[in-house]
Formats: sequence, C-alpha cells, structure tokens
Amino acid sequence: MHGSRSARRRSLAVAGVLMLALAAPGGAQAADKVTITFANWASAEATTKPAIEKVIAAFEAAHPDIVVKSEAMSFSEIARTLALRVRSGNPPDVAQLAGNDTFLIAATGKLEPLSAYIDAKLESQIKRDALTGLSYRGKLIAFPWTLAPAGLWYDKAILQKAGLDPQRPPTTIDELTKAMAAIRKSQPDVIPLGLDTTNRPFALQSNWPWMATFGADPLGAQHGDSAQMKQYLGWMRDLAKNRYIDPGRKIGEFRPLAAQDKVAFIWDQVLLQGVIQNANKMSDADFYQRWGVTTQPAGPTGKSFSFEGGHQLVLFADSKQKKAAWQFIQYLATSPEAIRDYTLGPGASLPPLVKMPTPELEKKLDTPIFQAFTQTIIPTVTTPPYGPAFASASSAIMAGVQQAVTGSEAIDQVAGSIQQQLNRR
Amino acid sequence: MRVALAGNSRRPAARTAERIPWFDTMVLPSAGVLAIVVGYPVVYTLVLSAEDYNLIGTTPPRFVGGDNFAKLVHDPTFWQALGNTLVYTFGSVAIAALLGLALALLTERASGRAGRIVRALLLTPWAVPFVVVAFLFRYMYLQNGGAINALLLAAGVIDTPISWLNVASLALPAVMVTNVWAMTPFFFLLLAAALAGIPNEVIESARVDRARGWSLVVGIKLPFLRNALLVGCLLMIIANFNDFAKIWAMTQGGPGYATTTLVVYVYRQAFESFAIGYASAIGVVWLALLLVFAFAYLRALRVR
Amino acid sequence: MMDAAADRRGGTRRTARVVQYVAIALALVWSLAPVYWMLATSFKTELEAARLAPTPWPLRPTLDNYRGLFGGSLPFLAFFVNTVVTCLATAIVAVIIATPAAYALSRARFRLRAATGYAMLVFRMLPLVVLLAPLYLLLLNARLLDTHTGLVVGFATFGLPFAVWMLKSFVDAVPIEVEEAARVDGYRRWQILFRVVVPLILPGLLTTGTFVFMEAWNNLIYPLTFVTTLEKQTLPAALVLTFTGQFKTDWGGMMAAATLTTLPLMIAFFAVQRSMVRGLTSGAVAGA
Repeated sequence: MHGSRSARRRSLAVAGVLMLALAAPGGAQAADKVTITFANWASAEATTKPAIEKVIAAFEAAHPDIVVKSEAMSFSEIARTLALRVRSGNPPDVAQLAGNDTFLIAATGKLEPLSAYIDAKLESQIKRDALTGLSYRGKLIAFPWTLAPAGLWYDKAILQKAGLDPQRPPTTIDELTKAMAAIRKSQPDVIPLGLDTTNRPFALQSNWPWMATFGADPLGAQHGDSAQMKQYLGWMRDLAKNRYIDPGRKIGEFRPLAAQDKVAFIWDQVLLQGVIQNANKMSDADFYQRWGVTTQPAGPTGKSFSFEGGHQLVLFADSKQKKAAWQFIQYLATSPEAIRDYTLGPGASLPPLVKMPTPELEKKLDTPIFQAFTQTIIPTVTTPPYGPAFASASSAIMAGVQQAVTGSEAIDQVAGSIQQQLNRR
Repeated sequence: MRVALAGNSRRPAARTAERIPWFDTMVLPSAGVLAIVVGYPVVYTLVLSAEDYNLIGTTPPRFVGGDNFAKLVHDPTFWQALGNTLVYTFGSVAIAALLGLALALLTERASGRAGRIVRALLLTPWAVPFVVVAFLFRYMYLQNGGAINALLLAAGVIDTPISWLNVASLALPAVMVTNVWAMTPFFFLLLAAALAGIPNEVIESARVDRARGWSLVVGIKLPFLRNALLVGCLLMIIANFNDFAKIWAMTQGGPGYATTTLVVYVYRQAFESFAIGYASAIGVVWLALLLVFAFAYLRALRVR
Repeated sequence: MMDAAADRRGGTRRTARVVQYVAIALALVWSLAPVYWMLATSFKTELEAARLAPTPWPLRPTLDNYRGLFGGSLPFLAFFVNTVVTCLATAIVAVIIATPAAYALSRARFRLRAATGYAMLVFRMLPLVVLLAPLYLLLLNARLLDTHTGLVVGFATFGLPFAVWMLKSFVDAVPIEVEEAARVDGYRRWQILFRVVVPLILPGLLTTGTFVFMEAWNNLIYPLTFVTTLEKQTLPAALVLTFTGQFKTDWGGMMAAATLTTLPLMIAFFAVQRSMVRGLTSGAVAGA
C-alpha cells in the first residue's frame, strides 16, 4: 500500500508539471505597438517559409510601430478555418487567399471593400487585368498579391525524341492529341500530359480552361449536360483510355516527375520552374533549353484559355487595425523587397505591377518563361463564376470528370448525373 | 471487455440502501466534462439540423423544421454514402476481426523471446498514425511509380499498372485493405489477451475429451473469445463510422462518389458548401442509426 | 501431455507446424512491408522517391530528408514535443477523471446508472466533423483556442467516454471481497477506490491510457482547426500542413516525417505492450 501511494504521488506530480507546461503564457507584447494577425499558408510550407518571414521582418523594421503575427494554416484548410473564425467573431486582420476561397470568404460579407484604400497612384501601378476579377457583388474585396496563371509547359527533349518539332508546341487540341500519341509510342515510360484530376476545388479551377476551350460552361447558360460538356468529357475519357494522363495524381505529384523528364506536357503555373530546378539542380540556361511554355492548345471554340492561380490579400471588416493592415498588404504586394524575396523568390509567381519598381527587378523578369506568361498567357485568363455555388458545384463536376475518366458509364449518363447534382443544390 | 454494461451487472450491489439514489457523485467529474464539451455541441447540432443555415451566407439561420430531412431522403449521394459507409465499416471490421483471430490462434503457442518479437512485429501497423497510413498507401497505390503495381508487374500478375484508387470498382476495396492493415493488430492484441486468459483447466479437460485442432478452437476457445470479439467489433464499428483521415487523404471520396462515406459527405456539406444545417441533419441521422444499432447489438449480447 | 493418438498423428502435426510457420511468415510480410517501404523511401533522394519505376531499396541512401526536417525552416522538434505533451496530458487527465466514474458505474447502485452508461457510449458515436463548429465556439469563449489546454479538452472529448467504458470492465474484474475488508476497517468510498482498487487495476489504467493516447495522436482535424500558431501545431497536422502544400509532393521528405511521427508511438507502444496484455487479460476481456 505504501509503494502504490508514492507511485500515485509521483504520477500526480507529473500531471501537475504537465498542466503547468500547458498553461505557460504565449508571450506578452509591448503596449504601444499595434499587432496585426496574418493568416497564411506561405509560412506553413518549407518552400516559402524563410522568404515570407524575411519579408515580414523587413516590414516590421520599416514600420517599427507594427508587429505582424503570422498564423500558419494549411492551403487546403484555410477557407474552412477562416469561415469558422469569421462566424465565431474571431477573424484575423489580413489573410492570404486564392481562387474560389477568396469569394467564399467574401460571401460572408465580412471583407472590407478596398476601393477606398487604393489611390490613383497605386491604381496606375497595378495591372488592369489583375484587379478586374476580384470584385464580389460590385465591390473590390481582395488585393492581388501574386499572379500565377497556368500554361502548357513542354519538355523539348521529349518532343524531339518523339519526332516532333521542339520549337513548335501544339496549338490545337487535335495537334496535342497527335503529339501525345507520338510520345506514348516512342517513350512508353513518359506520362504525355500532367493534368490534375483530383476532386478538389483547385482541380475544377485548373480544368475550367479546358472545359472553356470546348465551349462548355457547366455553371452558366448551358448546363452540365450540354453537347460541349459531353465533348469535353469524351475527350478526357480518351485521354485516360490511351493512358495519356495519370488520373488521380495531384499536380504537385507530377512536378518531381517533370524534373526527371518523365512528363511531356504539364498544365502548370510559373512556379514549376523553381520546383524543377530545386529538384534536379538544373542551371537557368539548361532549363530554358529544355523547357518551354505556351498557351493552351485551342479546342473547338478556336480559343485558348487559362486560369489565374495567383494569391490575393484580403482585409477583414472587423479588423481594429485597418490602417496598419492595409500598409502591410500594400507592402507585400508592391514593395521591391517583397517582390524580390517573396514574389520572385522560391515559390515564383508574377507581381501584379505594370512596371517593376527597380531596374534590377525588371531584369530579373526578363526570362523566356516570365515573358511567355506575361505576354501571351495572362491575356487568355478566364475567371470561372466564383462564389459559394462554385465550391459545391466543384465537387459535383469533378466527381463527374472522374467518372468520365475512370468509369465505364456512357458519357451521356455521366453528364446527366452532373446536371442532376447541380440542380439539387 | 465485459458486456455486462450498465444495468445488468450480475455482481451484487455494493450497498443495500433502502432508497436508491438517482445519481452518484463519483460519476460527476466525467459527466460534467462531457455535458459541457459534448452535450452542448450535441444540442446545438440538433437545433441546427432543423435550420437552413449557411455558414458563409449573409442570411441568418432560418427554422425549416423537417425540410433538411426531407431533402435527405431524395438525395442519392446521401444513400450512396450510407451504403459505402456500411460496406466500409462492416467489411473492414469483419475482415480485420477474422485476420486478428487467425493471428492470435497462430501465435498462441509461440513462447519465449522469438514469440514475443513476432507478436511485437505483428502489432507494428497499429502504431502507425492514420494520416501516415493514408499517405503511405496512397504512395504505394500510385498507378505509375507505386510499389504495389511494381511488385505485381514484376511477379507477372498484371500486364499493365492498375490505377487502384481511381477506378470506381477498385477504390473502395483498396481503401478497405488499408483500413484492415491498420486495424488488424487491435483485434490481434485483444484476442491474444483473451486466449491467454482461458483457464488452463478448461483446455486440459477438453484435451482429455479428445478435442483438438479445429474442434478445440471452435468448441472450446471461440466461446471464450466471444465477448472480447463482439465488444471489440462494436468499438471498431463506431470508430470506423468516424474514420475521416484515411479516406480523405487517399481519395477525397472519389473517384466520383465511389469512396464517399457519410463522414466525407458531411465534411463536404459542412466545409465546402458550408451547408451547416444540412450537414447537421446528416449527423443526426447518423447518430440515430448508430444508437439503434448499438442498442440492438448490446441487447443481443445480453440475451445470448 | 501428448497421448498415444497424437503420437500416431505426428506426421500431420509436422505438416501443421510447417503451415503455421508459413502463415506467420506471410503475416509478418503483410504487417511489415508497408513499414519497410516508409523507411526505405525516407532514405531516398527526392528524385529517386518519385521515380516511375520504383527502386526496391535506396540506391544512394541519404539522410537529407531527416536533415531537412530538423535543419529546415519548419520547427519539427516543436511539433514533436507538442504532440507528446498534449497526447500524454490527454491520457493522464482522461484516466484520472474516468476512474471514479468507472468505479461508480461498476459498483454503485443509482437509478440513472443504465442511462449514464449508455450516454457514455453515445458520446463516442457522435460525428467528429459535425461537432467541430460548436466546439470551436466553445473553445473560443473559454479563451482556449490556439492553446495546448484547448487541444487537450478537444482530445478528451473522445478519450473520456472510451476510458470510462474500458476502466469499468477492469473494475468489474476486481473481486468485491477485496473491498469488504477495507470497508470493515472504516475506509470511505474514495479511499477504497484509490487505496484498494486503483493499485489492483494499474495495468488496466496503463492500457486505457495507451488507447486514449493513441486516439489523440491520430486526431487530425482538431489541431488543424483549433491551432493557428505554427509553433504549437502537432505532428500529424504538421504533416498535412507541410506536405500537401501547393508546390510539390515530396515523398522522401514526407516519409521521413511519417517515420518521425510513427516512431514515438511505436516506442511507447512496445514499452507498455506487456503490461497491456496483462491488463487486457485480467480485466477487459476476461469476464465471460
């Protein structure tokens, strides 16, 4: 009995120490400083964490009265977490958002309209296209931080081996299909086309331009079972049947393969270059020799499209530190330091500015890849009908795409079930 | 685990007071904590299930009575998800329980150091966190570059790599295999312990009666394992209803809705469509289903 | 104990033994192959891990993935400590709170006993995902968001009913006579519980604690929702946070982190395994 009592006392002591450890305070702040909270995924990922921390430190040095508290969230969970926080009355001051998530959070009505904050000088510096897609119910609700449209990257070495002209990537869907057939035949161990067909809102965003080039608009005037949509789904099924795509792979799972010359075409954003070079240590010159990027091959509509996968910054209406928060937003998006270290840094994307603030940055942007994106790809960007409806529609549409790609039901039936799902919402 | 749950203990009561009190203070700490941390959310969920409430909409919640439940009845995805949940749950629990039983019987007489090591190794999958299990199997299932396809190709079992997680008919079984892998050690541990708990005299007297091999297992040992097996199954069935990490990280419920279970569907409703009211209604139906099942199950156990 | 009949069937016995060994070997392969693959991948370079034709073992073994975890920009050591601390605290707190309840449900007589027992079971059946929003609000109002205490509260939600259930079966297995003596000596109920019953069910406490610990370790959605400071995040959540990001799927790095996430659980598990078996034998599964 004696032994067990002391054992008990010991375990209670352990528990006590643990409780103390748990209750330890999170750190106090000086009273005269303004603290703003910044919810983002840049600081959650190893690739971008050092860069964003450097930029935040530089901002704090330039604004000694402001402290930025970075809140790391998962890229895939940020909309859920922010919606919960907004509804619970506990939003951050500033958040990083992308794609449909921006509009989901805007739908809460808790984002500060930004038009009043943007003066004429700033407006003249920002690319027009960068701002046009960011209005919700007539109000500008987000500020463009980075631009990252998708283009069709092609591995010139693989094209060459397949007997194709490496300087002339396909310009139409038909040419693309022929090229993929040649690649499949000459190099069976190469995935002809890297395309994300997972069931995530991001995947619908990524596949939207492909639907568009077939003339399909499943959420618009025509429906999920239009002739155009069926044509698109039929094409996707052929891709899978001929093993031109690798269904179910996330885009991020294609990139290390691209670094080993195992993907011929990949539908991806500016950041691909950084990921490839980071993995295989290729020099810039070698990279431009090996890889090119161009606009999407045009389908039956004869037009190419792209999606804007860049990131935005939003300011929450309940923020008590709007002035400081706006200064921070502006700094992240337009200051030379932030552009140099973050925007053009390891997670490379394009700044939303018409003209770079310094010649050094202007020079940095003068590469074949950046030029192709700025000059030919950005003008093809189309914005899907973002908003709350898009999110629930995305799982219905992508489920249908997956059924078309991997299943055996007739395409008419698949398209019909998409429309049924869409009607039910 | 003793099935003699609340209310049917065959043990004599500790005190024979004339007046039986309503409650016991010793339950208070647990009941109190649960009442706050779980009770409040449950009531909240019940209220929400009768409301049309979108988490991100600007319109306030609106009372709609049974509308959410009416919508549920006509929602084919709900029914598919329910079917998937039943197949996933009962299928993987049954297989894992059988495998666990087989392993327990196989290693029953493995004693000494080697026996201990074998047992420990057989338990390893249990120590692998679910999220790791999911990532690991997703990696192994890859159509191009996955270990499973590479192995089967090398062995000549298949000619072309199979996209395990992306074919509607294969995805659910593939996820279930993963689940069985992770769950079997639980049954193995439970049943090995139960086997060790069978009194020696019982086995000896059965031997004298010339029971051996299969008849020893079926006639003598299984009845002793019955309770452990059945209660273990109940706990795992409940846990599997809630199994989110594995399916979400492997397939996100796809392809199509092939692996969408109730928990995945609720998640999509609640946090992609933000239809909290509808998601809560599904939650309520789910709770009712499990309640009826557990009640019937425990009843059946008690009656024997 | 072998009788004559068995001697005659010695040949069949040997065959049976061979079959048994083969079966055990197969079971070992089935259990360990995925773990081997995790370990092997964690020592491959990023490109080797992503090869279309996988290599059966690392061709150029490297520690880069592990170096990346500890020397990289993400605080994996902090993740590790956070997880151990919160899961351990959950296990301890749940077992402490659950013990009296389990004792009462096993021994005492009160009218709401059956109802309480079933209610405990019901708590385990609730869909985690549905509870998320109300629980968030609760923790917000209690100012426990983004704290380890809040996480422990969340984990305990699911751990506690399980602990009550399991501990009850251990108490059931303690003969009532043991308590009679103490009662004659004038011990009160709480004293009997802590001085007589608890020492007898120590393996049971350990077993239950391990189950609760592992369940907390497996919980992914709570830390992802309730923790906003990266430095306070848990390992499984960090795995999702950092390896399903926007850039690439780095299988090697992911498997190194996975190994790191698995290892403590495995060690803890093997450390208590023997007493767990003892606990299960004496309590949970013995009563038939």
